[in-house]
Amino acid sequence: MPKLIIWQNGKRHDARFEGAPVLSQVLAQAGLALPQPCGGRGRCGKCRVEAQGEISPSNAFEQKAGSRLSCQLMLRGDAEVFLPASQEMAQIQLEGEGSAGALSPMPGHIGAAVDIGTTTLGLKLYDLKTGEHLASAAAVNPQTAVAADVMGRIGAALEGGQQRLQRLVEDALQGLLHQALKEAKQPETALETLVIAGNTTMLYLLTGKNPLTLSRAPFEADHLFGVWEDLQGRRAYLPPCMNAFVGADITCAVLASGMCERGDTALLADVGTNGEIALWKDGVLHVASTAAGPAFEGAGIHMGSGSVPGAIDSVWVEEGMIRAHTIGSAKPIGMCGSGLIDAIAALLDLGLVEDTGATDEDRLYLAEGVYLIPQDIRHVQLAKAAIAAGIRTLMYEAKVRPEDITRLYLAGGFGSHLDIKSAARIGLIPRELADKVSVIGNASLTGAARLLLDTHQLDALTRIAQRSRHVSLGGNPWFNEAYMEEMLFPGLD
Amino acid sequence: MIPLLTEISENLQSGKAKIVKELVQQALDAGIPVKQILDEGLLSGMNIIGKKFKNNEVFVPEVLVAARAMNHGVAVLKPHLVDANVQAIGRVCIGTVQGDLHDIGKNLVKMMMEGKGIEVIDLGTDVPPATFIDTAREQGCQIICLSALLTTTMGMMKEVVDAAEKAGLRDQVKIMVGGAPVTDAFCEQIGADAYTPDAASAADRAVELLSAS
Repeated sequence: MPKLIIWQNGKRHDARFEGAPVLSQVLAQAGLALPQPCGGRGRCGKCRVEAQGEISPSNAFEQKAGSRLSCQLMLRGDAEVFLPASQEMAQIQLEGEGSAGALSPMPGHIGAAVDIGTTTLGLKLYDLKTGEHLASAAAVNPQTAVAADVMGRIGAALEGGQQRLQRLVEDALQGLLHQALKEAKQPETALETLVIAGNTTMLYLLTGKNPLTLSRAPFEADHLFGVWEDLQGRRAYLPPCMNAFVGADITCAVLASGMCERGDTALLADVGTNGEIALWKDGVLHVASTAAGPAFEGAGIHMGSGSVPGAIDSVWVEEGMIRAHTIGSAKPIGMCGSGLIDAIAALLDLGLVEDTGATDEDRLYLAEGVYLIPQDIRHVQLAKAAIAAGIRTLMYEAKVRPEDITRLYLAGGFGSHLDIKSAARIGLIPRELADKVSVIGNASLTGAARLLLDTHQLDALTRIAQRSRHVSLGGNPWFNEAYMEEMLFPGLD
Repeated sequence: MIPLLTEISENLQSGKAKIVKELVQQALDAGIPVKQILDEGLLSGMNIIGKKFKNNEVFVPEVLVAARAMNHGVAVLKPHLVDANVQAIGRVCIGTVQGDLHDIGKNLVKMMMEGKGIEVIDLGTDVPPATFIDTAREQGCQIICLSALLTTTMGMMKEVVDAAEKAGLRDQVKIMVGGAPVTDAFCEQIGADAYTPDAASAADRAVELLSAS
């Protein structure tokens, strides 16, 4: 069998393969998958590698990207590949608000709180006796190599990939647990209990359930979890999902926010490829999900990039001029999601982009060599309209005005890096709520940890799921109207 | 061409709803016939956007902001359209098939067809075959337009064709199909009348079908 030598962060990994596989597949099997926001279609240029040996020649996508791409490169024999340093791993948001403290912990010596995201996996290890946080670990979800989004993965599962998807996430999870236990200097046997949050599809795929009911209207999931399962010899609690598209990750995030413990009206939003929104009012939690697409992750953006050195992460106007900051203050090479939103806010303020999204410029420079093209603005319009219209529709359904909302909780990694003022300037979140934002980070993981350390929280969790009411946005006439209106940037029109 | 109407068309194309509204009112006040404002101002602007969309010169957001501006303009005209006895060139019903909730593509087709002066009855999403058939019969639609975005739901299109056959409507109504997984071959295979790859072509094709019937 031919051999592949993989280098990352100065460490060597050896892998074997059969046939002539695409590189990303071998990387995923080795637990070293690179992010593929475009789903491995060669479009986003995010899985750049350097490679030598018996490999396919550069194809059209790779020539366009100006680099070899792990989703395009085919291995033909022995080869060696150099992966970018795994800074993105460190960028995966694990921190949330508030510490847990062990009040009435789940049984066992060591426990793990896990969040299985569509894009990333994250976990934290706790001493269940003391409540002490022992170690953390994170990685890209290797299922991204199969398909970037939830619908793509459901499709792949239904076409015979169910077992493969399950094995990918199980192996990655075992790898992360192993790594965290090693860091905590604990034996494998010390870990007995897990709480695993994730969206509905991720829990289906983890537990090997057929996701047929998630694939077609009326989208009524036949499993909503809220159960204990045996996971490779360990007891794992899977928190309840609210419906097919608002999963246990959001139930846990809502728990972490504490919004349902109070009488006032509050909103929670997790902005990502899929945006989930929850609105608490008068004892009812109105929930919805909306497809924003991967623009905020930089996919489809001409000079979009991940959060790597040289990525513009912040843009502002100074004396009528655009100023930009890059990660690591390095030479600018592109822009990440937060920089993109700042940039559009600044361009709107300068009048270089109209509220309709139109611009006369072919290139809108942010820094030397880094610019937006008009099509980038159109991508952001589509993504922000989906989120903003989702928020408006929930408010309409629950008969809530912006001034009634006392707090907007922003959960998830993207929400943590976002400049709130810019988000309000482009209309991603209602302007009236900009002063009421609380950023709560990876609240899904925070909620899972809270459950692990305090079993009394299980009642509160169950109540959240029971009190949820799903608002369907697909085919919702109010949403369609709002989607069209929110396509514009806030302005004078 | 009256300069004011050109101005309406141009502002519509760039999505300036408020200005379109004001200009349409000005045109009415200046005594320009309602039909001419509609055709040479609003519909001509939407047609240009449709053509650019077909050629990949503009994308979904531009179409949506232009359609929004058209709606604002049409709202000003509406009371006068009835008085002036302006008639639609035909009537169609449109919907996303049962089991499917995607409607952005369907809505684009609807906007483009309205931009061609066609009256469009929107049945929404997750529409059972019987609803298409009943609507076509009761409202006298000349075309049924079906949208599906999922490979798991496109099979429902055949059921609509079969239901039209069974109801004895098949020779009175044309059936158009579209959506990401749909192809010409699929259209032929299920016995539908027309497939188009994008919203603007769908509107053009509908006009052809209506003028042939």
